[in-house]
Amino acid sequence: MTTCLSIPKIWNASEDYNKLFKLWEQISNSPFDEDFELDFRNCKFLGHNGVAFLGGLAHFIQHRGGRVNFLWHTIAPSIKMNLAQNGFLYYFGESQEPWDGNSVTYRSDRHHDKSEIMAYLLEKWLGKGWLNISKPLQNEIAGQVSEIYGNAFEHSDSEIGVFSCGQCYPNRNYLELSVIDFGIGIPTKVRTLPTNSHFSSKDALMWALESGNTTVMGVPRGLGLNLLKEFVNYNQGTLKIFSNDSYVKIADNDVTYSKQTINFSGTFINITLKCDEAYYCLASEDLDASSIRF
Amino acid sequence: MLCKVYEITGKFATDSDSGQKLYEMIFPHLEKGESVQLDFTGVGVFASAFFNYAIGQLLQNIDSDDFTRLLDFKEIPQTGLNVLKRVIDNAKQYYADQQYQQAVDTVVEEYAASF
Repeated sequence: MTTCLSIPKIWNASEDYNKLFKLWEQISNSPFDEDFELDFRNCKFLGHNGVAFLGGLAHFIQHRGGRVNFLWHTIAPSIKMNLAQNGFLYYFGESQEPWDGNSVTYRSDRHHDKSEIMAYLLEKWLGKGWLNISKPLQNEIAGQVSEIYGNAFEHSDSEIGVFSCGQCYPNRNYLELSVIDFGIGIPTKVRTLPTNSHFSSKDALMWALESGNTTVMGVPRGLGLNLLKEFVNYNQGTLKIFSNDSYVKIADNDVTYSKQTINFSGTFINITLKCDEAYYCLASEDLDASSIRF
Repeated sequence: MLCKVYEITGKFATDSDSGQKLYEMIFPHLEKGESVQLDFTGVGVFASAFFNYAIGQLLQNIDSDDFTRLLDFKEIPQTGLNVLKRVIDNAKQYYADQQYQQAVDTVVEEYAASF
């Protein structure tokens, strides 16, 4: 049997993410082996976050034994152009190869290939000249964001991998990146520790963002998300994390948590950087650190 | 002992596997009281996952004074230094309360064994 999914307009507000999670829920509640058609007639805009998530959904459907049929003829020309530019069409079997523009290529990673992911972050996301910042600062951003991938591959138990897409929005002066896994979610993972088993999703997400908290025993860890949070605050960016039925937004030196209606099995992270070098500073880029002892 | 980190990590010192390799290379020397110099020439990108395994876990068996005396970080970029400092602080705190740590580990092991 084939079910038709109507893809809605997807921008970057929390309700847009919920629209995506509704699609996921619809698939999750369907029988295994169900086939799906993706109809874009009602989609007037499809942000990079929607692109990354739809790519993941296609894999999710296939992982459940179903087939996916993108109804390409229903896509508005401007959206189709963007999907061609970011390589989504090519990835899903169309002939047109991606080209350079304001898009950051759609990618799907089944395994953690450090070099591939760093090349993606440094060349395709940060290296296009949208952010006029020094090489050391580019490296710092890439290092911080690589923590998202590290967490996704190590902790999420996503059977279908990790999906990414980004975009420069020149009118808004933003550079964005979405990274999604379809694993167990951060709150679920945090609750695997007996001491945390009573945590609400919000408590669990708060716990995960605190320095030094980790579900892995034996080695001191638990800094990745905290460092990323600090970095985003320091450089006036925005970090949104949707995981299970919890959502946290980190922006303007404020952290806002809210409960979501849909319990998405996975983690959806979107990071927004301002394309204005005035916002960026590497605390001591010019320090001489030739030899250090602690 | 001089260790060229680039030969283990390449340009990106971001993953725990590379960190573990470096740890296994340097820990035996530090344990014997031998000096180790880590040369980060050529390494440009750092993440805490790497330092947690390479450096943080050294503090389980090497005390702070020996750590300072024996381990030298050469040509580490500021971006790496910022992360490294946080990792060392975190590791010191983690290992400082061994009693708490052992209690947590015991609970986790019991929990795992119950499955």
